[in-house]
Amino acid sequence: MDEPQTPSGIPLRPVYGPDDLPADHGLRAAPPGEPPFVRGAYPQMYRGKPWRIFQLSGYGSPEELNQRLHFLLEQGETGFIMKRDRVTNDHLYDPDHPEVDARREDVGQTGSVLLSARDVQVAIEGLPIEHTYAHPGAGVVQAAPWCLGSYWVAAKRRGVDFTKLSGTGQSDFFLTYVGCLTKDQIPPHAGLRLNRDLIEFCTERMPRWVPVSVAGYNGADSGLVAHEELGAVLANAVEYLDVVRDRGLPVDGFARGIGGVSFRTSMALFEDIAKLRAARKMWHDLLSQRYGVTDEKALALRIHVVTAGSAMTYQQPLNNLVRGTLMALAAALGGVQSLGVSGYDEAISIPSDHAHQMSIRIQQILQEECGGLVDVADPLGGSYFVESLTESLETKAWTFFEEIQARGGFIESIDDGWLLQRAADNQMSESMRSGSIVGVDIHTDDVSPWAIDGFAGGSDAWELGMARVAGVRRERHETAAGDALRALEAACKADDNVIPLMLDALDADVTIGEVGAVYREAFGSWKVPVQL
Amino acid sequence: MLLAKTSLDGHWRGVMVVARILRDAGFEVVNVGMATADQIAAAARDEDVQLVGLNVGGRVEVVERVLDRVREMAGDVPVFAGGTVPPWAAKRLAERGVEVFPPGSSNDDIVAAARRLVGAPGE
Repeated sequence: MDEPQTPSGIPLRPVYGPDDLPADHGLRAAPPGEPPFVRGAYPQMYRGKPWRIFQLSGYGSPEELNQRLHFLLEQGETGFIMKRDRVTNDHLYDPDHPEVDARREDVGQTGSVLLSARDVQVAIEGLPIEHTYAHPGAGVVQAAPWCLGSYWVAAKRRGVDFTKLSGTGQSDFFLTYVGCLTKDQIPPHAGLRLNRDLIEFCTERMPRWVPVSVAGYNGADSGLVAHEELGAVLANAVEYLDVVRDRGLPVDGFARGIGGVSFRTSMALFEDIAKLRAARKMWHDLLSQRYGVTDEKALALRIHVVTAGSAMTYQQPLNNLVRGTLMALAAALGGVQSLGVSGYDEAISIPSDHAHQMSIRIQQILQEECGGLVDVADPLGGSYFVESLTESLETKAWTFFEEIQARGGFIESIDDGWLLQRAADNQMSESMRSGSIVGVDIHTDDVSPWAIDGFAGGSDAWELGMARVAGVRRERHETAAGDALRALEAACKADDNVIPLMLDALDADVTIGEVGAVYREAFGSWKVPVQL
Repeated sequence: MLLAKTSLDGHWRGVMVVARILRDAGFEVVNVGMATADQIAAAARDEDVQLVGLNVGGRVEVVERVLDRVREMAGDVPVFAGGTVPPWAAKRLAERGVEVFPPGSSNDDIVAAARRLVGAPGE
């Protein structure tokens, strides 16, 4: 039989001992909140602040999203995510675009349909936005300025000073160009430029906002193994930091702004615990050694974890409650600031309200009932096994990081499909392995009394969206909308910061498809360079 | 055979793995990616395929529209599907002769079904 190993290929021995501790163990054992931050970003960790309960959510009409967000906050969620529709939002299409019209029933299935600032006003009605951390659904790169801008404009219309809001935009390259490809997307170099605009705008005007957030999760759940996820996340950060440095701006402030990233935990429990610890060390080393950053707040990486959606099975779906719990535990033990647990119905549908509630309950049980878990920081620190794994992963991750740098950097490795190809090849070899998934490969049953039917939401999201867009076009000041779109287009082409112009356009009630048309004209469309 | 995604949801890992295992099993696979009902039906007709595989990441109504167009334009070519299809939707598709392979289906089962549907002998 083969020697057991982690998904990253690190061999596992029957037992670990003192000789397996890293040579620089003393340095690494520094308390949490102190460099090199292996043991945590903050001295008190969960005693100071429990991790944020932060669930991916969003489907249907603005009203349906609003209702679900109120429900989640009532259940104990401590931040909220406004996941938007992939068909309209992520492609920047209006609902009457032929690609949308051809599959209108899909609209609203993968996120909420928010087509203008007015829709976002409805979606956030009654939500405590002034003091709740928000992710207004800016996952895909080309959609990020639109998504964030629409949230800020909707807040402003409610009388809130949007520059005081806290939250994050993901605007993530892994999601956009590796994990979840769109049919129409601006090229990665244009994406980097939009992210630069976001980072600059937020650094100047939005002190409590994380402008972009590198989401290793999306690479990992598409096939990148732990050391590749780590190495690629750092390579992505380098692209942002180089842009800032090359513009002659101080890196410290920016580094702090992008120092909130996301990782995946999977059923490879210990490797993923080690990964979170390694990530903080590597972030510290990268920033201090490559950029000379000294601000300790910038050197301490803050981590959001999403548990692996791909670990959730279609068969015997209630088993997924156990998987969600274990993966959430891995996150808690590795040290996180924020956590989302994938729904037990993940392989079947978008989450039902019950699946959402259970993802929250899992986290509440960990926070409230598990003795010591929130009281003691880095409880596995000093474990021969975990310390050894942490160091091994770092070594492999740096090698992968250097490999990306040697072939022209992260953006290049996205643009030419190299990273996507790597993820696809890993997927292929994973699918060939003989499985030991309970309920799927082993311990199966033909008639499960616990089957669930899957949640679908309303089926009229497209019709309602069509009516809202027609209303906006009828009621808005047409000249103002046209002027704002032309100004946005000029900024795109002239390399000016697009964010202030995007806010103007949203305030003039332009629709998402109109912004998409401007982008497609200014930036063109990326061709997926890999045969899938 | 033809492979296509019915929705604009870009999760590609399922359909990519299926494309590769079918190629490895000797099938000539044309993967058109995200495509509309008209595009899928036209490709099935023009490429004169013996089998159509649909990756589903959205609603069953969209798959049914694809099926209607395939029947109109490419006759009774067999169709099978995979993806996040809830049990009730899988039943609806089965009533129209579409076998559904949900997440967790084995590579061997998918290849065997493809061979059976094109009338090829098993291995």
